[in-house]
Amino acid sequence: MTITNKTARFSTAFIAAFFLVFGLSLLHARASDAPSAREVMVKVAATRKLAGSEAVIEMTILNRKGEARTRKIAMATKLFDGGKTEKRIYKFVAPADVKGTGVLTFDYEDKPDDTWIFLPALRKTRRIVRSQRSKSFMGSEFSYADLNVPVISDFSYRHIRSESVDGASCWVIEALPTTKKIAASEGYSRKLYWVHRTEFTIRRAEYYDPKGDLLKELTITNTRLLDPKNKRYRSMHMEMHNRKNGRRSIFHSEKLEFAPATKDEFFTMRYLERP
Amino acid sequence: MTRSSIVADFVVRFPRMIITLFAAVTVFFALQIPHAELDTELKNQLPPDLETRVNLDRIESLFGGTDMAMIVVSSADILEPKTLSRIKRLSKGMSDIEELDRVVSLFSAKDIRAEDDMMIVEQAIVRFPSDADGREALRRSLANNSFVYGNLISKDFRHTALIGFLTLDASDEVLVEKLENLVSNLAEEIEEPGAIPNSIYIGGMPVTRVSLTTDMREDMRKFLPIGLVAMLAFLFVCFRQARGVLLPFVMTVMAIIVSMGLVPLLGWKIHTVTILLPVILLAVANDYGIHMVARFQEDNTPCARASSKDLAHRGIVELTRPVLATGVTTISGLLCLLSHIVVPAEQLGILAACGVAFAVLGSLLFIPATLSLLPLPEPAAHTRALASQHSLLDRILLAVAHHVPRHARSIVFACLVVACGTGLGALRLVVDTNPMSFYGQDEPVWRSTHILNERLGGWAGISTIVKGDIKDPKVLRQIDALETHLRDHEFVGTTTSIAAVVRKMNLVMHDNDPAFDRIPDSRDLVAQYLLLYSMSGDPEDFEKLVDFPYEHAQVLAKVTDSGTRAATEVVRYTNSYLAQHSDGPFELVGGFLHVMADLVNHIVRGQLLSIALSIGIVGVIVGGLMRSFVAAALAMFPLLLALLMIFGVMGFAGIELNLITALLSSIMIGVGVDYTIHFLWRYRDERRSGLEPRVAVRRTWATTGRGIVFNALSVLVGFSVLMLSAFLPVRFFGLLVAISIAACLVGAMVVLPALVVIFRPRFLEPTEASGVGSGPTAPQAPSTRPAS
Repeated sequence: MTITNKTARFSTAFIAAFFLVFGLSLLHARASDAPSAREVMVKVAATRKLAGSEAVIEMTILNRKGEARTRKIAMATKLFDGGKTEKRIYKFVAPADVKGTGVLTFDYEDKPDDTWIFLPALRKTRRIVRSQRSKSFMGSEFSYADLNVPVISDFSYRHIRSESVDGASCWVIEALPTTKKIAASEGYSRKLYWVHRTEFTIRRAEYYDPKGDLLKELTITNTRLLDPKNKRYRSMHMEMHNRKNGRRSIFHSEKLEFAPATKDEFFTMRYLERP
Repeated sequence: MTRSSIVADFVVRFPRMIITLFAAVTVFFALQIPHAELDTELKNQLPPDLETRVNLDRIESLFGGTDMAMIVVSSADILEPKTLSRIKRLSKGMSDIEELDRVVSLFSAKDIRAEDDMMIVEQAIVRFPSDADGREALRRSLANNSFVYGNLISKDFRHTALIGFLTLDASDEVLVEKLENLVSNLAEEIEEPGAIPNSIYIGGMPVTRVSLTTDMREDMRKFLPIGLVAMLAFLFVCFRQARGVLLPFVMTVMAIIVSMGLVPLLGWKIHTVTILLPVILLAVANDYGIHMVARFQEDNTPCARASSKDLAHRGIVELTRPVLATGVTTISGLLCLLSHIVVPAEQLGILAACGVAFAVLGSLLFIPATLSLLPLPEPAAHTRALASQHSLLDRILLAVAHHVPRHARSIVFACLVVACGTGLGALRLVVDTNPMSFYGQDEPVWRSTHILNERLGGWAGISTIVKGDIKDPKVLRQIDALETHLRDHEFVGTTTSIAAVVRKMNLVMHDNDPAFDRIPDSRDLVAQYLLLYSMSGDPEDFEKLVDFPYEHAQVLAKVTDSGTRAATEVVRYTNSYLAQHSDGPFELVGGFLHVMADLVNHIVRGQLLSIALSIGIVGVIVGGLMRSFVAAALAMFPLLLALLMIFGVMGFAGIELNLITALLSSIMIGVGVDYTIHFLWRYRDERRSGLEPRVAVRRTWATTGRGIVFNALSVLVGFSVLMLSAFLPVRFFGLLVAISIAACLVGAMVVLPALVVIFRPRFLEPTEASGVGSGPTAPQAPSTRPAS
């Protein structure tokens, strides 16, 4: 009896220890299963790539005094070259004085963008040349770099903490430019992204200037799953607040559709110049 | 028993109480001084409803700060890579300064150009040229960039400006310190052997303001104590008694402390012109005390057998009336500064008047109280004045006193000739405050301003606000026409406006066809150009040119002369254009420079008015006291003479009538009146005691006159020391105080006696009653009136 008791006690302890060790190792395995910060960002970049889309966006820029400039743009995007090139076309719908103005951009993965602009009042198309990604997108607080898919290798990433944004559990990931040149071109010394843990979409971001001070804050709401098959998301509402000059820019989508079959001819000079 | 003798009794009975009271009041006010805040913000000195200030507020509400600070870099060739990299560092350093809300430099300015089918908006300098060809290509591109050429870079490529627009609440001192640090950090590197020499200066209005006030403060701090010591030493030579020197001096210092302590008590702040307060009081306030001490000494004769108390009592009784009379006229004269609309000038008048009032009270109470407590000294030197042993100074004084009545006519004639001759210079007097005239050509502030004005299109700006649909070609054409008109003015260098940008884009989008160097005809096209610009430029690029909703535009004209006259002229020129185009979209003209010019002009004009007013008031008061129009005329005469002299000397010497020099004339009113009243009062007494005019003049010289002359000479000696300063305004300052004191002295002690001897005005002649009863110095005519 005593022996049995002893054995039983031993086996209980053994089992407990076994489960403890096994449980810990299981937990450990789960932890190492979590994607690295870089992997998260690769997924983020992927979820943004829609085969094609059509949208109507209202772009509002507010200055410190609360005065507003509002423009309405109809736009279409489509991936070409097996996803290596995204072509975009914007047509201004309002205000009346810029109606018909068109912008066509070819966003290449491995070389600087090509951009053409058509001015209906001049009936001419001009190529515009931009050297820096830190430049403002149409006078807004969004830079071209903020709106385009970042080149993953330009930054080193680090997972700093987890935090929830509007009830959604997010990773907070820090991105530091790998070279001074990239930092200068982007205009930031540091970025923080709040990435949704399951959707891999950005919900919030902070951008820091070269001195390390907070420059801009991005909030994203109303993110929609547009392409459920490929898990592609787009957000309907983005707001960028510039802490330095007090300006805010709001991009609000009135209409946003997944349109993989968007016509190729939209992304041509001929279509750009069409009234 | 008169009121003055009641006061005298009280003072002699309770001297310790009076001394304690004065000491307590002084300590109380001294404790307030640390609470005084400095306010060098020029805008605050003008009433908020004044047009220029209203205009500036409006401009700032639309476009933020328009005041500019600059860094000027000079080099054999600005495009040399080392120099360019330094400019880039300066540009970056300036953008980090939080007092600046926008920095414009070769590295932030844009270039709009066309190349093949491309439209390019990029930095004026994209990359540093690596070789000679690259450098020449950059030179060509900058020469074609109308936003930069002759504006940010001189046409000979030897100078460049980095312009920072001040935030609305920027502190001049903090900003200038940061700019200086930025430049000196870089300068250290340039000092190293083998480095390319560059000269780097900071400039613009904020820098000028700071260097003016700091240099002036520094020099005053350095030279004023020396002047004070010189003044004290001279007084000691005159009176040969420590108390004769120290008591009036202590009284003056107490008056300065009380008036400065009043600043925070009244809820005011110390402004730039407040530094004149101690100066005015130093020149004016010791007058009363000196007369009290002089009288004490005068009465302390070996045969008087009087105690200290007796002499103090007598001093009060005898001097209450003339000291009160001079005090009241001086205070009235200083209160004429209230006619200014410039707030600190008004305050200066009140503060100086309070200081003088305190000095007057102290001279009648505190000084005699102290004297009554001190043991009676040996009879002073002056008792020997009429005897055989004279000091050199006394002998000179006596000689003058002797000759004045004898050559009265020639003296009056000579003085008139000299005054009128000098007065002719007044015709050449320039009303202008040009800070650059204060600096030598080797001073950094002068250099930077000179380069900005001569090579870089101007040192400060005048803004014109346009209201309307800014994208409307009609409005843009009107802006363009205004700009062209402005550039025709001799004091306007470069101009900037949104119209120039639209024109440039129209030209570039038409492949640089000169026919399209104009505002396009279509509003839509203008809107599309601006949209196009926003796709490659920075959102802040137009911040100073057009407001957010495109309802207001700013045309900025840089002025190439640093004087207030130039600024005023450019504003007048613009306003007359606006009046001719009253149907145009123009709203107003103004800017920080205009406020500065307006402030200075208001002070100068206000001061001329206040001088006229105070001379009139002096006439009225003296006329009333002496019950004679002739007395009024005689009192005003030396002042007018002094005025003529001082403006004449300024005209000939090329000293402009400016902020400081105009306010200085207050000193003249203060001292000039006192000398005259003291002279007339004593002279009348002497006449009434039965002396013949010439003898009465000599007697007045030997008694009251001695005090006046010593007082005036001491102040003169004190302020002459300021002429040793290397800083021109301080030197002018010393010169002008010296001239005004000397002119008042000559007017009161030479010309006035001569006039009195010639014309024998009735109010100074002995009356029937005067021979009997009253003592030799008892005043007659006003004695029926209460003492105060």
